[in-house]
Amino acid sequence: MSFASKKVIRDLSFKVHRGETFGFLGSNGSGKTTTLRALLGIYEPTAGELLVNGRPYDVASGTKIGYLPEERGLYKKESVIDTMVYFGQLKGMSRSDAKDFALDYLAKVDLSDYVTSRIDRLSGGMQQKVQLGITIMNDPELLILDEPTKGFDPINRRLLMDIIFGLKKRGATIMMVSHQMDDVEKLCDRILLLKDGLSKEYGSVASVRKKYGGKHIEDIFVEIYGGVDFENEEHFSLDEMANPPGKEKR
Amino acid sequence: MRRRFFGHNFGIVFRFEVVRTLKKKTFWLTLLAFPLLFAAIFGVSYYASSQSESMANDLAKEKFSIALTDNSGTISTAVLEQIGAETIANRDEGISLVKVGKLDAYFYYPADLATNKVEIFAQNAGIFENFKYQSVAQALLQSSALAQTSPEIVAVLTSQINFETQTFSDGKNYNPIMEMIAPGVFLVLFFLIIVTFGGQMLNAVVEEKENRVSEMILTTIRSRTLIIGKIFAFLTLILIQVVIILGLVVAAYFLLRNHLNLPSFDLSAIPLDAARIAIGLAIFIASLLLFSGLLVAIGAAMPTAKDANQFFAIPILMIVAPLYVSPMLITSVTNSVITFLTFFPFTAPIPLMLRNAVGNLDVSEALVGTTILAVTAVIVFVIAARLFQTGAVEYSKKLSLRGLFRKRTT
Repeated sequence: MSFASKKVIRDLSFKVHRGETFGFLGSNGSGKTTTLRALLGIYEPTAGELLVNGRPYDVASGTKIGYLPEERGLYKKESVIDTMVYFGQLKGMSRSDAKDFALDYLAKVDLSDYVTSRIDRLSGGMQQKVQLGITIMNDPELLILDEPTKGFDPINRRLLMDIIFGLKKRGATIMMVSHQMDDVEKLCDRILLLKDGLSKEYGSVASVRKKYGGKHIEDIFVEIYGGVDFENEEHFSLDEMANPPGKEKR
Repeated sequence: MRRRFFGHNFGIVFRFEVVRTLKKKTFWLTLLAFPLLFAAIFGVSYYASSQSESMANDLAKEKFSIALTDNSGTISTAVLEQIGAETIANRDEGISLVKVGKLDAYFYYPADLATNKVEIFAQNAGIFENFKYQSVAQALLQSSALAQTSPEIVAVLTSQINFETQTFSDGKNYNPIMEMIAPGVFLVLFFLIIVTFGGQMLNAVVEEKENRVSEMILTTIRSRTLIIGKIFAFLTLILIQVVIILGLVVAAYFLLRNHLNLPSFDLSAIPLDAARIAIGLAIFIASLLLFSGLLVAIGAAMPTAKDANQFFAIPILMIVAPLYVSPMLITSVTNSVITFLTFFPFTAPIPLMLRNAVGNLDVSEALVGTTILAVTAVIVFVIAARLFQTGAVEYSKKLSLRGLFRKRTT
């Protein structure tokens, strides 16, 4: 898949098994979000296939999907309950079921006092909780999380982990993009490492680690994508950054 | 069947958009602001007019000592007796009687009233009260003049003559003003919609992108269905507003018509030309679709409502511009400028609707114009839907048409 002449994804082929937690990893700009958007029909691929349950994803297919995108947001001027009920209905729940779920969830995450509050009156952390609740409405069979812990405080991060564990236990398939490699090691069964639109590693966490001599995923990530040696001034120099070559000193 | 036509989840979007807008205080404030403002302006002007009328009457009836010299011979003796005024032969004597306080007012009517002024000499009674002298001097003249005239001439002079005109077309009664009313409703409605609700519609289109909700929502509903749901919801809200405003106007009319002496309207007298009403409706729907498509396209291409609003003026100007040549639209239909404005899709709505209302748009022109509008609306909608889909996740940059049609390859 490419935008104009720039190829973003090339010859990428992978499978996520039912019931597993799959880590979709890569550096910034490697094409992870683009792949997820194409999988969900937001972008239209001009070649190749992205299938969910054996067919291209369609909003009317009945597949229960929970998607937490990297770009977060809610209808700022609507109330918490109205927003949750609306999304619940869009995901196929009845109005009363969506309302019951929302009230139950908000009680569990200590937001009972904010049921009728407008979203923009909530703190950032509270809004994250609401968005998480929306993501898991209607008991998703496939949960797609794009950098789920991005911007989360420790409490919400813990909440998210609990949710992921809970859904995993109930047999949901989870696909997550994350830069938190310790989370990936803890949660994921298999991973794919994407670099410049190409698959660099693909397999179980154990097999990938074994291939790199038992290194942790984070070290493998650095090895593949190339890290900066902060102790070596030849590679990284604050002085050089402040006075790049060619810039005359006054 | 309904679902298949409108798309999956159409009803949920439609309901959400309608209900949440109805819950907003701003919706009701905006809705009631127009009739309340209208009522306030009407009330103030009615009060001011009735006050000045009664003040003028009071002043004219006011009793004070008057003397006058009438060299014109207009003032009748009967009128003079009625108000108890005396006549004085000498102008200087009258002035001195006022000066010494023996008279409240002295009026000097010159021989030639048409070219010379009537002079008034009176005791100062204050800024406003001083007007009473002139009122009385004038009332004396008018009453005297009318007393010497036949009732028919009085009716002519006081504009109390009633006229009734009947015009014919093809041997049948034809009143062009009355004929305009029914098909003209679409023009008024369209103009009100674009001017009053255009900005709100634009904000509604940009909302998902501006709030970063697009991605989540587009996994549950197709972009086209979302747009159509929003547009239908908006049209429903406009309909609700129109019904409420009309209801208030009708209720106010029936409640106050006797009290305020309002003229009576006979709605059954409005001619209903089915062909022109049908053409007006078709042009109205096609115009509304085109306008909505343009709004969606602009909203989809811009990252924020603020950016979108800057471009919103362009379609509004194009659509409203023909109003500046509206006299030509009524009289010079063969003019090439008028032909261009009538058939160029982005300026066509108002010329087509106005010409249909005044009856100078023939059926073939109406068909061509409506077809051009409808085809353009479909093309704009296809582009707008594509822009909406492509631009839905472009949270911070503007889309260009070049970018839109740039081929994506895998």
